Amino acid sequence: IFSMFRGLVGSKALTKEALQPVLNSMRDHLIGKNVAADIAEKMCDSVANKLEGKMVGTFSTIASTVKQSLNDSLVLILTPKRRVDILRDVLEAQRAGKPYVITFCGVNGVGKSTNLAKICFWLMENGFRVMIAACDTFRAGAVEQLRTHKTRLHTLHPPSMHGGRDGVNLFEKGYGKDAAGIAMQAINAAREQRYDVVLVDTAGRMQDNEPLMRSLAKLITVNSPDLVLFVGEALVGNEAVDQLVKFNQALADYSNAENPRSIDGIVLTKFDTIDDKVGAAISMTYTTGQPIVFVGTGQSYPDLRRLNAKAVVHALLK
Amino acid sequence: MVLADLGRKINNALRSLSNATIINEEVLQSMLSEICRALLESDVNIRLVKKLRENVRSAIDFDEMASGLNKRKMIQSAVFRELVKLVDPGVKAWQPTKGKPNVIMFVGLQGSGKTTTCTKLAYYYQRKNWKTCLICADTFRAGAFDQLKQNATKARIPFYGSYTEADPVVIASEGVETFKEENFEIIIVDTSGRHKQEDSLFEEMLQVYNAVAPDNVIFVMDASIGQACEGQARAFKEKVDVASVIVTKLDGHAKGGGALSAVAATQSPIIFIGTGEHIDDFEMFKTQPFVRKLLNMGDIEGLIDK
Ligand SMILES: Nc1nc2c(ncn2[C@@H]2O[C@H](COP(=O)(O)OP(=O)(O)OP(=O)(O)O)[C@@H](O)[C@H]2O)c(=O)[nH]1
Ligand SMILES: Nc1nc2c(ncn2[C@@H]2O[C@H](COP(=O)(O)OP(=O)(O)OP(=O)(O)O)[C@@H](O)[C@H]2O)c(=O)[nH]1
Ligand SMILES: [Mg+2]
Ligand SMILES: [Mg+2]
Repeated sequence: IFSMFRGLVGSKALTKEALQPVLNSMRDHLIGKNVAADIAEKMCDSVANKLEGKMVGTFSTIASTVKQSLNDSLVLILTPKRRVDILRDVLEAQRAGKPYVITFCGVNGVGKSTNLAKICFWLMENGFRVMIAACDTFRAGAVEQLRTHKTRLHTLHPPSMHGGRDGVNLFEKGYGKDAAGIAMQAINAAREQRYDVVLVDTAGRMQDNEPLMRSLAKLITVNSPDLVLFVGEALVGNEAVDQLVKFNQALADYSNAENPRSIDGIVLTKFDTIDDKVGAAISMTYTTGQPIVFVGTGQSYPDLRRLNAKAVVHALLK
Repeated sequence: MVLADLGRKINNALRSLSNATIINEEVLQSMLSEICRALLESDVNIRLVKKLRENVRSAIDFDEMASGLNKRKMIQSAVFRELVKLVDPGVKAWQPTKGKPNVIMFVGLQGSGKTTTCTKLAYYYQRKNWKTCLICADTFRAGAFDQLKQNATKARIPFYGSYTEADPVVIASEGVETFKEENFEIIIVDTSGRHKQEDSLFEEMLQVYNAVAPDNVIFVMDASIGQACEGQARAFKEKVDVASVIVTKLDGHAKGGGALSAVAATQSPIIFIGTGEHIDDFEMFKTQPFVRKLLNMGDIEGLIDK
């Protein structure tokens, strides 16, 4: 895509007119890779502002200059400003004698429960004992889904691997009950039974559904988890932006706490289903500035990765 | 309403034509840019958008066109034609036949809403007095059978499935056979979520397809899907004979443009849309009235048939 502009210009100052065609094709390229349209636009604008009036050397083209500049901005967006170090924080909580609590939230069907189970496996592999809280009390089969994961994880990690105690347990109260209350009971049970981590599964909800967003805000306000993870799928298009903005907004608006919580990090799922259309990673991090803590790359327990910013940017610009 | 926002933007862009005193290349290009931007913001596939732009552009010959009025009309109808092509594959939607077994197989990406939509469709036919049932041929996803079972039980729809059998092909064939013997008319087969990158999952889908020989294969799409949609939809179509599309989660904020790209890729009409998690959050979709509404051409038939 960039090759068609090679060799246009020698050494002179970059003008808006000279940059425009390159930037237009770059914007379309990013949109084609599933970056949200207005974010692709904004990124190109900021590259234009940075480059306008700059001198380009005889041997570099506008296209390569633009590409380099875009590359740098993309890497910057994907590089976390803040490190989320769950293992360290769990250890710290352990020393303080309380369980470390992670809440998973997001829209319907993105992979909250499955990736919760994968993260549970990862924590168990690191020697921690985990309590899963079944706080999706709405969707048919949600509780049984977690129970199945608990049973499988228990088989993979029998008590013999956890000092004779259960490595994983499920706290469930069936359907139709208040999710915030169940989370609280689960956290209390975990404290009493000395579990290291509580993973709170919540029901999927649309970001515009006010009653459901209110109840999520309540769950988070009442239980003040250590980490709030937003789960989003790499398949999502322009909606990525709206989802994150509105989840954050709801946590702020519907909480009556002094310092309302917001999303602390992102789990980007279904990364194995998108080939090189990796733009959702950009849309999500650009929107929130929050780090992608995990990437889901499949449907089994080990399919959990860290984001490789360089590789994502490479795929984006390819 | 679905894509209403998109419709508004397109109409605004078209209106800019009427407001312009002279219509030249520049006016046309700026209107096209506006329309294309609206389509891209709604997740329509970028290649389809580019093609639409080229097709409209090449349908217009400024030298040959006479008056301003004529220009306007030609441009507008060229835009309409291309937009209609996006939504309307020009294929009649499949209809079940009364008094015989109609096997319907659901396929789609992980989490798109297949299992939920299976029950919605079954409930829809049951209320219209068809003898209806559900089969759970998802042996992979944790809790899949419980999910279908709970949904079906609540709606009082007979169902078939197994906690122990691991082969979806066995369950699907046994279920279909059993229900056919009992003279069921609408037999709906739910399958696991899958994606084109994993061959074994696609192979499994083909085996279920061959085993139950469905009369209709429905591809279920999440309205929020972006640019990856087209490739996935095309791959499903190439493996099994997808004949219908259902777009789910349109109760959210999503415009559903990505899902429209699935229509182009599968050459199959959208037959229903999902607008919530409850069993009756389900609406029949009619392409022609939808397009007319989208393009503000007057709500002739009424958009939705409840
Ligand atoms: N290919 C792939 N599939 C995934 C991944 N993560 C989850 N899935 C699948 O996505 C589907 C939905 O996953 P769930 O974990 O049930 O999603 P959820 O967000 O909990 O759904 P709700 O609770 O109904 O809102 C399942 O079929 C999962 O196996 C992933 O990283 N890759
Ligand atoms: N808001 C909303 N949610 C929906 C709609 N249709 C389905 N869902 C939700 O989307 C999530 C996933 O739905 P499922 O029916 O489990 O999806 P699936 O395609 O069967 O998932 P797999 O079998 O794991 O591939 C659930 O939380 C459903 O309640 C809809 O139209 N609107
Ligand atoms: Mg879930
Ligand atoms: Mg399912």
